[in-house]
Amino acid sequence: MTTYTRRQARRRRRALAGTAVMLVFAFFWVSPVLILITTAVKSAADFASSGAISLPSSLTFANFQSAWSVGQFGTAFRNSGLVVLVKVPLGILLAALLSYALAQLKIHFRSSLTFFMLLGLTVPIFIAAVPVFTLLRQAGLIDNIWGLLPPYVAFGLPFEVLILTAFFRRIPHELIEAARIDGAGELRIFFGIVLPLSLPVLITVAILDAVATWNELTMALVLLSSPEHRTVPLSLLNFQGQFTTNFPALSAGILIALLPILIWYGLSQRWIVSGLLAGAIKG
Amino acid sequence: MARDTLQAPPVVSRPAHPSGWPKLRARGPLTGWAFAAPALIVYVAFLVYPALNSAYLSFTNWNGLSPTKAFVGFQNYIALVHDSVVHTAVRNNLFWALVTIVVPLVLGLALALAVNTHLYLRSFIRTVLYMPAVLPLVGVGVIWGWLFQPDGVVNALLHDIGLGSLQHAWLGDSTTAIWAIMVPAIWVRTGFPMLLYLAALQGIPAEYYEAARVDGAGRWQRFRHITFPSLRTTHYILIALSLIETARVFDLVYAMTSGGPGNSTQVLGTWMYFNVFQGYRFGYGTAIAVVIAFISILVGIPYVRSQARDLR
Repeated sequence: MTTYTRRQARRRRRALAGTAVMLVFAFFWVSPVLILITTAVKSAADFASSGAISLPSSLTFANFQSAWSVGQFGTAFRNSGLVVLVKVPLGILLAALLSYALAQLKIHFRSSLTFFMLLGLTVPIFIAAVPVFTLLRQAGLIDNIWGLLPPYVAFGLPFEVLILTAFFRRIPHELIEAARIDGAGELRIFFGIVLPLSLPVLITVAILDAVATWNELTMALVLLSSPEHRTVPLSLLNFQGQFTTNFPALSAGILIALLPILIWYGLSQRWIVSGLLAGAIKG
Repeated sequence: MARDTLQAPPVVSRPAHPSGWPKLRARGPLTGWAFAAPALIVYVAFLVYPALNSAYLSFTNWNGLSPTKAFVGFQNYIALVHDSVVHTAVRNNLFWALVTIVVPLVLGLALALAVNTHLYLRSFIRTVLYMPAVLPLVGVGVIWGWLFQPDGVVNALLHDIGLGSLQHAWLGDSTTAIWAIMVPAIWVRTGFPMLLYLAALQGIPAEYYEAARVDGAGRWQRFRHITFPSLRTTHYILIALSLIETARVFDLVYAMTSGGPGNSTQVLGTWMYFNVFQGYRFGYGTAIAVVIAFISILVGIPYVRSQARDLR
């Protein structure tokens, strides 16, 4: 008995040591963000005398106030939020319809079509920049956040189709057959059976998609120009240019801009992890 | 994982689409196409068509504004070969790919092995380590651009640990700038390999290790002969995805140096952007975009094929 508990104790000691080492590493790993926080709550005088690598001598929130008003982050949050709110459900709906056809319906060229859709995973968004720009210029949708929707939806489809098709294939065909025999139409089967069954995977894809859409730079940079239409990445770029020397205010602005995504990550990290694994290894 | 909860009964594993009932005959391939059409239309109109249109524009001298454009054959591509900034950009892209694939993979594997031991707070540690990967790259670039400033944190840290002589204008010097930008790239790109390796490690049956231990295999031998070979698929997936990803490097460079100083940190993506949207050389810019896309598609095809095969 004693050997058993001794082994257990040794195991626990090793786990504690390992945890300590990993916590220290994790602390250094995220230290860029931690330094951002300590700098943002410092007064300019405090920062000038003590530098970045020290705890603030007193807390101030003045930096956040000036960063908020100069950075126009409110507008950027609204713009990015609107784009995400429309793009994500729309993209997933389109992808789900197509994936259902690929996974469960009769369709010609099934495997070529699958390949054709997945090939989009490798196509960088740069290649679309010029034609989409000219296309939207003709349509009068330049410098309009809704102009981002078509390219965002199109470039989001391959990943969504990859995950959703893999999932829909696992829905037993008999289930769908049974509904058909009962007289349900295809749309009713899709919305009434397939989508509700797939809710977890739909949520996972939506969360990942929201992060990618919120963070996208290239298309936004090409298509948007005026301050009131900036998305979050654009407003951060612009903000950086205005506070090149005022580090506390710059830090505060970066923190404000990153806060929504950090909160989103904190709330949904389990889904994010399972989604990433599904996308890469899926079965 | 959630999707594993739905398992088809083993006996009837995905029968070929039955066509017995008269009612079903009406549901021919047209129904399938009706479901596929909306996504296909958007995909073709805003991904496939623009890509092909870019390929066409790359053979013209269009300036983006004038109503006319002349077909110039391979002139843009020939100019590309002689453009010294393209030489720099290609070199930067290659170094970028090498460093920001190899280092995150090695570091990610090391972290996965460390996290996979018996630890407390395991999921908290994993969450914290993956955090940089969800930040917008522009945000990451702005943070690190600030850290790397001459009077920034990196130099202050060097001074504090007695290496003041190494202080440097990291982003202002054309010999160090591109390497400095790779640091945040590594920071961002390590999380994903860590997660994937971690999942793969947890899938290796413990009996393998037990058996090896009974046979007297040491720690290194177990890693060398059990762990590493079991991760083969994961290595392959990670390398494929990283190649696709690194070909399109843009955000970090644009946010941290805009290609400077003196074009020394230009990569193909940023150089294309500057040519098109600041130099109004639409034809030339799209030729660069075509090169990037070509490389990205080429290195990605094996991966896409294997994924598409799994979906069949």
